[in-house]
Amino acid sequence: MIPERELFWHAGPKTLFYLLSLVSVSIFFYGLTRHISVWKKGLKKEKIHLSCKSIGSVIKDGIFAGRILKGDISAGIMHLLIFWGFSFLFLGTIVLAFDHYIYHFLFGKKYLFFSFSLEVAGIMLILGLFLAFIRRYVQKIGRLENKREDFIVLLWLVLITFTGFFLEGLRLSYQNPEWKKFSFFGLLFSNIFSKDTAYMIYPFFWWIHVLLSLSFISAIPFTKLFHMIASPLSIYIKDQPYFIVPVEEREDVFTYRELIQIDACTRCGRCVEICPSSGVGEPFAPRDVISLIKEKIFFGKKTEYDPKLIWYCTTCGACLEVCPIYIPPFRIIRELRAREIEDGTRVPALMAQTLERLYKYNNPWVSSKKRTEWVKGLDIIDITKEKEEGLLCYFVGCTTSYETRAQEIARSFSKILNRCGVRFGILGRKEPCCGDIARRVGEDGLFEDHTISCIELFQEYGIKEVVTSSPHCLWTMKNEYPLLKDIDISFFHYSQILERLINEGVLNFKKGLNIKVTYHDPCYLGRHNRIFDSPRNVIKAIPGIKLIEMEHNKENSLCCGGGGGRMWQEELDVDVKMSERRIMEVYDTGAEIVITCCPLCLIMLEDARKTKGLEESLKVMDLNEFVLMALE
Amino acid sequence: MILVLAEHRRGELRDVTFEMLSLAERISKESPMEIASLLLGGERGFIDKLKDFCDRIIFVDSPELKNYSPEPYLEAIKKAIDATSPKLIMISHSSFGMDLAPFLSEKLSLPLITDCVDVSLKEGRLATLRQIYGGKIFSEIRLKPYERYLVTVRPGTFEPEIREKRSASVMEIPFQAGTYKRRFLEYIEEKIEDIDISSADIIVSIGRGIGKPENIPIVQEFADEIGAVLACSRPVADKGWLPKSRQVGISGKTVKPKIYLALGISGSFQHQVGMKNSKTIIAVNKDPKAPIFNIAHYGVVADMFQVIPVLKEKLKK
Amino acid sequence: MNIILCVKQVPDVTEADIRIKKDGKDIEKEDLEMVINEWDNYAVEEAVRIKEKYGGKITVITLGDEESEDVLRRALAMGADEAIRIDEEGFEGSDPRGIALGLYHVIKDLPFDLILTGAQSADMGWAQVGVLLAGMLNIPYATLAVQIEIKDKKVIVKRELESNTFENVELPIPSLITIQSGINEPRYVSVLGIRRVRKLKIEEKFLDDLEIPPDKVGEKGSIIESMKLMPPPEGKGAEIIEGSIEEVCERLAQIIKEKGGL
Repeated sequence: MIPERELFWHAGPKTLFYLLSLVSVSIFFYGLTRHISVWKKGLKKEKIHLSCKSIGSVIKDGIFAGRILKGDISAGIMHLLIFWGFSFLFLGTIVLAFDHYIYHFLFGKKYLFFSFSLEVAGIMLILGLFLAFIRRYVQKIGRLENKREDFIVLLWLVLITFTGFFLEGLRLSYQNPEWKKFSFFGLLFSNIFSKDTAYMIYPFFWWIHVLLSLSFISAIPFTKLFHMIASPLSIYIKDQPYFIVPVEEREDVFTYRELIQIDACTRCGRCVEICPSSGVGEPFAPRDVISLIKEKIFFGKKTEYDPKLIWYCTTCGACLEVCPIYIPPFRIIRELRAREIEDGTRVPALMAQTLERLYKYNNPWVSSKKRTEWVKGLDIIDITKEKEEGLLCYFVGCTTSYETRAQEIARSFSKILNRCGVRFGILGRKEPCCGDIARRVGEDGLFEDHTISCIELFQEYGIKEVVTSSPHCLWTMKNEYPLLKDIDISFFHYSQILERLINEGVLNFKKGLNIKVTYHDPCYLGRHNRIFDSPRNVIKAIPGIKLIEMEHNKENSLCCGGGGGRMWQEELDVDVKMSERRIMEVYDTGAEIVITCCPLCLIMLEDARKTKGLEESLKVMDLNEFVLMALE
Repeated sequence: MILVLAEHRRGELRDVTFEMLSLAERISKESPMEIASLLLGGERGFIDKLKDFCDRIIFVDSPELKNYSPEPYLEAIKKAIDATSPKLIMISHSSFGMDLAPFLSEKLSLPLITDCVDVSLKEGRLATLRQIYGGKIFSEIRLKPYERYLVTVRPGTFEPEIREKRSASVMEIPFQAGTYKRRFLEYIEEKIEDIDISSADIIVSIGRGIGKPENIPIVQEFADEIGAVLACSRPVADKGWLPKSRQVGISGKTVKPKIYLALGISGSFQHQVGMKNSKTIIAVNKDPKAPIFNIAHYGVVADMFQVIPVLKEKLKK
Repeated sequence: MNIILCVKQVPDVTEADIRIKKDGKDIEKEDLEMVINEWDNYAVEEAVRIKEKYGGKITVITLGDEESEDVLRRALAMGADEAIRIDEEGFEGSDPRGIALGLYHVIKDLPFDLILTGAQSADMGWAQVGVLLAGMLNIPYATLAVQIEIKDKKVIVKRELESNTFENVELPIPSLITIQSGINEPRYVSVLGIRRVRKLKIEEKFLDDLEIPPDKVGEKGSIIESMKLMPPPEGKGAEIIEGSIEEVCERLAQIIKEKGGL
């Protein structure tokens, strides 16, 4: 006998099956269109481009679970087993249908191979599901929140798989074909019942299996299973170019990209695990905000997130770094802030005050326009007064201009440049705010104003090269300005300029410093601008320095707590502040000095050093101060 | 004649009445004039309290005048003016005078200067001193010649010390109440569930300079350390950073501790009223021009957050 | 509930050094940013909240130069519906009565249920205009409101008195209420909000249109003959302790120990 399998053996009525299939697939497509119609609401200006790079990402992070494996191998294996098992079984079903309706080819060795493969796939799926159960309910992994849905979905899959194998067993028990050993797993079930009993109960279980499977298909768009469709999309669109809709043309805050990303979240909780705010026990968790919005937008639930929560996010970007499917909760939260800003009635008082100050006085610190007090005693060109074209423009930034501790950054950097004979100038009193704070807290109208005044100023004085003190200014200018206006200006962070001067041999260190130091990666320099090595290279260029890395470094760096507008907001009464958690990590390295590259980090860490009583044992220094110390 | 409108509430004659009488006495030294108190409603016992400080007491009694309301007060005051024809009428710049004086000015065509910290009458012409821009600037005002002037006087500006003992004659004016549009309903006292700052010996008080609420624990800790009580000025309470019961000033509490340490408080008059009688006032403020330095005994021009940790250490020793 | 709001633009002096002009009549305003008077800002928010609850229309009025349209736009962005600017020309040097007269001549022809305005201004601080206006319009009023409740064509106003005491008074409609700071938390006005009302027309009124005898306003109409500004008298108060933070604190600690009996 040639090995093969008769489809719909001892099952039926077929018409009922076809009818139910039609219903199930219709429900699926109805659900799918509902999702798509929501996505389309965001789809105004953007077009999705075809990109090989994006397809590559989907293969790497989707099919091969690249990011799921990263940092949690067990989760990766679990997902790979379920994904591959499920996909093969699904493909198998399609192949069977093809074989049955279109072209019969599954017989003989081909059939045996097919049968064996599905057997393996089934076992993979079962192992994956088993692992999922263990992780959720035995290991009780902290980041996984167990909702009813999670349990039902798992159980459902388990039931489908087991009824499948059970049916196979029943069939084998009745048919008892000679090739049955190829169905080795199903075979285990074949001895439970006698041949006749098996034949008798087979249709009953067949229908159970069919009903479970069909309802599973129709449930996909209405449960977290929808990630099967949304997640690969979310990965695909991650590299699509960003754009900013001018506020006056904006109807709502979310773009299609964000809507798909919100839709794709499976609440895996990696973002909660890594979030510096959640980490110090603040009531904020990125996942919770995303899932509440998701329920509201996609499932019409009247869930409302606590509007206070969205102000906790420092926009540090750690959540995006760990998300398996590249959802950026901090960007979504930024859009929610934009809504709150537009409404106005629930903006935290201190934030409102800061924004009004930004609007009137172009800085978040004081109601004064005395921007150049730090210059006292230094010889620095004011580009707006002495029209010397082609100078390197040092964009000092608000915090570095006004905040007493941060002013040292500007002074040290200027001294270093002067020592190296670099011609540079500042914009003096005319320097506006770069727009970072406005952008991060969702005051997009103000952001536009700031952007335009900066760009116009750069153009007026023929500036081609800009170096910033703050990684925040750098991010905003380099990545967001071009989305509003075409500009032809290169932007750098001072650590890059220092690195350049060292490489050119202009800046060199004759004396060594015999000190143990550690380096704190500012979120906006590292994670956002991907500048990890420049500051490290500068530090390492000083002879005698021992650079020790902290537990969290580079893309895993911990936020100081000052970004995203948090610096100018009321803080909650938490036991440990983010900055304190970070400074303790510094302390654990045994370094004498922690060097950083951002005015906000400098202030926050300096503050934490004091509140943690580490004034004797530890120093917080800006890279410029450190370099200057090595020079002098 | 200088007519001083006595201010009373809930059966108590308010201090500002005597402050105004003392000012009236000073004015009458320069341009001799009779001093009269106008008592609207209130208790007859008030007459005894006022008698020694003025030459005449005009008393208008009516249940409608017991609790202040502008319309009956206007009618009564008009009668008193008709009967006495004063040159100058004085009302306090309190929640009472702020409500009443402009109304009188409009209805009786009286030239009005509000919130005066000094008043003089020379050759029948009024001159006053006021503070503007939150006390950052003073303005000296001379008025055009008028038959009669109305001023409101800032409470807490003048010492209620009267040098010359007088003996007032009492004149009662009958009053027939009409119907009025505005109706007094009730007094409300905010419950104090917090500690009572008015009984503290040492008060550490914070103002706008605190910047943000998370700085409060720093000062609280400092206050605890030296056994002081934490208080604040209006902006801090308005923002809800400290309970209203901690607010020192005209609408909050009046305090007289041994030491009042004002940190980052610029010292608006509303605040000054509540703390100027403290035995020793020490002010720390970044702004050397802050009005608080005018009434403080000791001043430090510095950032409060630089001073606190060092001072805490010094006081520990 | 139709509301008329009277607001004013003032220079922001919270963190500024104020310089007095040479003639001593005014301060140098060139370096100062103009903002809405703090008390008026609370009044705008209160008006908008009343409108959100009871419906109606808010008309916001200011008397000032062209620059003061900013505060009108801000009020429009917060929720006011119409704006009127009475041009300052001819009103320069007015006393509070002169200003109230200008407002009166515009408001007398408008229908309204409530007039709201700040209890005082952050610059001159007269605390007069609201009540004067009520007097001219012959409507009842209440000052220093920290809570407003509207019940069957009556308004219950909670007034802030001294020493933690308040009183409730009842006003009929129409009436005028002046607002004390802290009555609410004024909403944030976004740049977008302001841009959205950029094109709304602001009605302009000039002294000539208002049938006000010119000698009733401006310096001529003022009761004030002359005003001289000066810096606050110095030195009568504090002994300023100077030196390093160390030295200063040493001295302070000594004073506190001695005077506080620690």
